[in-house]
Amino acid sequence: MAGGRRVKDVLRELDIIPETVLVIRGDDLVTADQVVHDDETIELRPVMSGGSAP
Amino acid sequence: MKCRKCGEPAVLELRRHNAAFCAPDFLGFFRNQVREAIRKHRMFARDEHVLVAVSGGKDSLGLWDVLLDEGYRTTGLYLDLGIFDYSVESKAKCEAFAARRGAPLLVASVAEAVGAPVPVIQAVTRRPPCSGCGLSKRYLMNRVALEHGMPVVATGHNLDDEAATLLGSVLHWQTEALARQSPALPSTHAKLVRRVKPLYRLSERETAAYAVLRKIDYIVEECPFAKGATSIAHKEILSRMEDASPGTKHNFLFGYLEKARPAFERAEAVTLNECARCGQVTTGTVCAFCKLADQVKRAT
Repeated sequence: MAGGRRVKDVLRELDIIPETVLVIRGDDLVTADQVVHDDETIELRPVMSGGSAP
Repeated sequence: MKCRKCGEPAVLELRRHNAAFCAPDFLGFFRNQVREAIRKHRMFARDEHVLVAVSGGKDSLGLWDVLLDEGYRTTGLYLDLGIFDYSVESKAKCEAFAARRGAPLLVASVAEAVGAPVPVIQAVTRRPPCSGCGLSKRYLMNRVALEHGMPVVATGHNLDDEAATLLGSVLHWQTEALARQSPALPSTHAKLVRRVKPLYRLSERETAAYAVLRKIDYIVEECPFAKGATSIAHKEILSRMEDASPGTKHNFLFGYLEKARPAFERAEAVTLNECARCGQVTTGTVCAFCKLADQVKRAT
């Protein structure tokens, strides 16, 4: 995807609910207002677990 | 976005609290929520030995991490469900965590206890896999705690787990399940240990963030049997509602616990017996776990 956009805009374009993922860049967590640049890779890690916990 | 406490750049926004935190202040917030849960529901005392049920996931390993840091006396319990590579990997995560923290870990096998692993139990019973799995886990957690003289089992259920369970119970008006839903279930029989959920105040996004910030190596992949589980569908619906109106999950669960649960708590006590086969607690003559083991034995 093209960069130069805020995380929240990337999530909206992918139709991902922000509540359901963590956005990780390198070893850091990234908030929704931060901008992702063209040369960067971010991980969208699902946080949902299910079935019969624990 | 700035940290609400110190003004440094934030790493996580918590919309339901109308706040954002830097890493150190988020970890402080997280630990405070666990402390508050333990205090408010008198989950366990400083001198009590706590059995922490761990699955290799973010919630249970995060819980164990907090309790170790808080100085509680804990032992981990990993239940090997025999679910192919998922169980192999999740067990390795638990063993690595225990070794890194120098904490004792017990391992119990569902296949040994029931006679077959979860995938075979599912095939034999023809019921959803989470059904036989949940039954086996609850039974074994209690039995292992009793065998080791531990008065309480702590599980990693979080706010999303609890809100999704509540939604499922309400949608079907399962009044017995509603009466039982609580962050802390007391011991109602000499052979039943307390069951507590110290993470019930924290969302699963928060527990995932805690695990990442604490560099806990947890299993990210979901149990292969959880795909299509009703509880997942309920979580997705609640997350959409949360997105539209932050605080929905919290208000749903906490409102229930404070205002509605007392109405569902049954006035008359259930008669508890000891299973004629294994001696564990049951409302009948033979417990559901022994019946399951019999069914598996006949079919395999």
